[in-house]
Amino acid sequence: MQGMYITMLNFIRKKVTEQYPENRGKVFPHERMRGQLVMPHNENNQHKCTACGICQMNCPNGTIQVISKKEVDAETGKEKKVLDTYLYDTGSCIFCALCTTSCPQDAIEWSTNFEHAVFTRSKLIEQLNHEGSSLIKKSNN
Amino acid sequence: MFHLQTVTQWIDEFLRTYLTDGWALFIEFILIGVVILAVYAVLALILIYVERKICAFFQCRLGPTRVGPFGIFQSVADMVKILLKELIKINRVDPRLFRLAAYLVIIASICTFGAIPFDKGIQAIDFNIGVFYLLAVSSLGVVGILLAGWASNNKYTMIGAMRSGAQLISYELSCGLSLMTIVMLSGTMQLSTIVEQQAYAWNIFRGGIPAIIAFVIYLIAGHAETNRGPFDLPEAESELTAGYHTEYSGIQFGFFYLAEYLNMFIIAAIATTLFLGGWMPLHIPGWDGFNQVMDFIPPVLWFFAKAFICVFLALWVRWTMPRLRIDQLLNLEWKILMPVSLLNIVLMAIWVIWII
Amino acid sequence: MKIIDELLGQLPFATIELKDKTYTVSVPKEKLYKTASYLKNNPLLSFDFLMDIIGMDYGDTLGVIYYLSSTRFPSYIIALKTTTDDRENPLLASISDLWESAGLYEREVHDFLGITFVNNPDMRRLFLRQDWKGYPLRKDYDASPELNPVPLCNEDLEDMENMPVTEISVEGERLEHHRKLFEAEDYVVNFGPQHPATHGVLHLRVALDGEMIKKIDPNFGYIHRGIEKMCEAYTYPQILHLTDRLDYLSGTINRHGTCLAVEKGLELEVPERAHYIRTIIDELTRIASHLLGWGCMAMDMGSITAFVYGMRDREKIMDIFEETCGGRLMANYSVIGGVMNDIHPNFQRKVKEFIPYMRKMLKEHHLLFTGNPIARDRMEGVGYLSKEQAISLGATGPTGRASGWSNDIRKVEPYAAYRHADFKEMLRTDGLTFDRYIIRLDEIEESLKILEQLIDNIPGGAYAAKTKAIIKLPEGEFYQRVEGARGEFDVYINSRGDKYPYRVKFRSPCMTLVNTLKAIAVDTKVADLIMLGGSLDYVVPCIDR
Repeated sequence: MQGMYITMLNFIRKKVTEQYPENRGKVFPHERMRGQLVMPHNENNQHKCTACGICQMNCPNGTIQVISKKEVDAETGKEKKVLDTYLYDTGSCIFCALCTTSCPQDAIEWSTNFEHAVFTRSKLIEQLNHEGSSLIKKSNN
Repeated sequence: MFHLQTVTQWIDEFLRTYLTDGWALFIEFILIGVVILAVYAVLALILIYVERKICAFFQCRLGPTRVGPFGIFQSVADMVKILLKELIKINRVDPRLFRLAAYLVIIASICTFGAIPFDKGIQAIDFNIGVFYLLAVSSLGVVGILLAGWASNNKYTMIGAMRSGAQLISYELSCGLSLMTIVMLSGTMQLSTIVEQQAYAWNIFRGGIPAIIAFVIYLIAGHAETNRGPFDLPEAESELTAGYHTEYSGIQFGFFYLAEYLNMFIIAAIATTLFLGGWMPLHIPGWDGFNQVMDFIPPVLWFFAKAFICVFLALWVRWTMPRLRIDQLLNLEWKILMPVSLLNIVLMAIWVIWII
Repeated sequence: MKIIDELLGQLPFATIELKDKTYTVSVPKEKLYKTASYLKNNPLLSFDFLMDIIGMDYGDTLGVIYYLSSTRFPSYIIALKTTTDDRENPLLASISDLWESAGLYEREVHDFLGITFVNNPDMRRLFLRQDWKGYPLRKDYDASPELNPVPLCNEDLEDMENMPVTEISVEGERLEHHRKLFEAEDYVVNFGPQHPATHGVLHLRVALDGEMIKKIDPNFGYIHRGIEKMCEAYTYPQILHLTDRLDYLSGTINRHGTCLAVEKGLELEVPERAHYIRTIIDELTRIASHLLGWGCMAMDMGSITAFVYGMRDREKIMDIFEETCGGRLMANYSVIGGVMNDIHPNFQRKVKEFIPYMRKMLKEHHLLFTGNPIARDRMEGVGYLSKEQAISLGATGPTGRASGWSNDIRKVEPYAAYRHADFKEMLRTDGLTFDRYIIRLDEIEESLKILEQLIDNIPGGAYAAKTKAIIKLPEGEFYQRVEGARGEFDVYINSRGDKYPYRVKFRSPCMTLVNTLKAIAVDTKVADLIMLGGSLDYVVPCIDR
């Protein structure tokens, strides 16, 4: 019978239901939440990825695909590997964070976006580097 | 007091002025049928919504909130969905019995529903053996359940139906016996007369201790009859997925669903009628002013308020208690409730003879 | 230990090595049964707890490693090894009559490595379909999809019910026959693979007599993911995130165990701060898991409200996890050498808020369910598991402790920061369903105590030790035991000095629990079967690795 008291207590207690679409951005997610992989770009459309491929190697599921191209550096005249496309498939990602922790340049990081619902699987494959972006030049001085 | 009877009488007179008696009766029958079906369906929808909301509140949730304000159209949406659903043809079932079962269950429940006096004169069937009729018709449902379990050709449904059969038939006994105590108190089986008798004191007050015992037993047994709460073994979802209606889909499942909720209401309504004075307002002898104030509330409201209190009680128990096991269930009936209600009848006899 | 040394010395045919509390005893295959029964039955040794059987493919030979632990010297482990040269028809003696748990373990080895155990009464495949071709954990396994195409029809019932038995006659002749699982007139009901009460995709085939249960046959493998096979192709950091997905309700504990095993191999010094953080996270996981276990058991008994309350309180822990670890269920927090990132600034405050909240809620849970007469009636006197049987079945964790078997690894072999915490090992003696139920709530209480002691004393310093970019384990075998939420979780890593392990094996505490269910649910009612399943609280992905 004490159980009936407990249920009655909860009957009048504040409810814990999260009204999801309405409270979007209010309660969650916390800033460390691993929602989606992103590659931050600065205002000049530049990113930090050197296309070394360590993230691709570390990824257990083959989620990341780094496609690089050879480009001749204007200053030194040497041929250099630069990033062409950085493909990331949310559909096969298991959010182990091995890519971000192993990245020597800190070029990729997690965003808290967790709303991954799309209609076809192919939409889950994203290109992380923006169109026409380039590597941040290290300042010489 | 405003009785709905004035409305029905007006309709009756209106029809009789234009038609012969036979035609007037015929139209009235159809009207009554339509009204009962409509009230039945609407009540079921309300009950489903109320149950979901109350259950959610007990569980620290909000329940349905999306369809309409506070989600009040949720059950309407569910009804539309269930009507549109495909009736799945299942291999190797006995199709005739399979379909018949769903109808039997709902017919039993509607027949009982018709005998409930909502207000003075608002009662489709008013026999002089009304209590008998209620008991007899409501136990028809068990045939439907047994048929459903058998015809589905599924082991879960079979176990569920067997459990249900054992449970319903056993609890019918104490259910009937506790009603008999009230019949002893009233000296009649006609539901309308029983209600009229309670004008100055509801049976639960008039009958004293035996009536209170009978009320408690009736609530427990009645609760068991509806296959709900701690007595939901026939459809114990963690054991038998959905019990006897596992194989049903679409509106056939809807019939079972409706019947389940309405049975809950019917049990509450019978408890109201026999123990809590039916549509009678709360009257306390001697307090005339108070009685007059109470009379301002329409009797229909009184009836539904009492019935919903009983329903709420049932829900409260259902969402608190875990499920009984089949042997404990039968032990409870045959070793506790049955002997107690038999003794209670004796007690009531003593009460009626010497105390009143 | 001297006495173990002496007694093991009495086995002249065995080669014995000792390396920090683990004796490796290698015997020829003919002497296997004799050695096992000696180790088990000698009252001075009483190595009566069979932790795991690990099938090995050494390349040219196949082998089996039996990990034994003693109730007398619980911190000592014996690894009993044997090998066979015959790769075509490997035969080994079965020890299934010595340990009740051995039957299933042997079936698993048979399934993955093709070793047939002589005299095991049931040599069906355990996880894979009976018509599967090849043995996946052999190194020469052909994984091409043409060999084992995706099946388009149900498994043949005949195959599922025929239990092959291999015996060797006195003349040394190999005899094979089949036993029937069920009798012809049995009323067999399938519970699962899709069923609300099997806690995952478990398939129990139950022979009923009315409402009474005559026999249970669990079928595994519906969600088997081949994690152990996958591990052989993964680097050590990559393995870690798979461990979260074994028993997802105690994911951080599994991961912690695997990290400890790898660190043992690397002889890596983990900072004290990381130890403390890991311990706190583990205990939070344990509370969350027990809450869910409590709720699920209540739901199995028909009280859905209790389940929702359990989930509600668990949500608080999940929020703490999300804030600090970045994941809710898959926390992915421990890494080799420490933890992934430092605790969130709010972490300590939130945990401290959680402790009194949980205490209050525990009281309510007791009022709601423990004191309920119906619940008490149903749990009373059902599902008795004696201490001997619990040990023989390998029913570790709360289940074993409810039967009076003191098996808490946190006490036996304190790892991480448990040696700094003062807590009791919850023990009950009756071994009934009610004990298994109440012990979980008591353990929540104890976990709260541990949290209380540790949360304010997290030492400063680094949260992770520096590791190399590519982690290579030195050659050898590493075995680590940790106390998961539902029992002992063990990790076995066999390394050949590569960056990939040669063989990884996880001891699933849940597989033995299902075996326990099989043993204790006979002669109870259908409703009890479900309740007993709830009281054992197994998680299917833990079985189907």
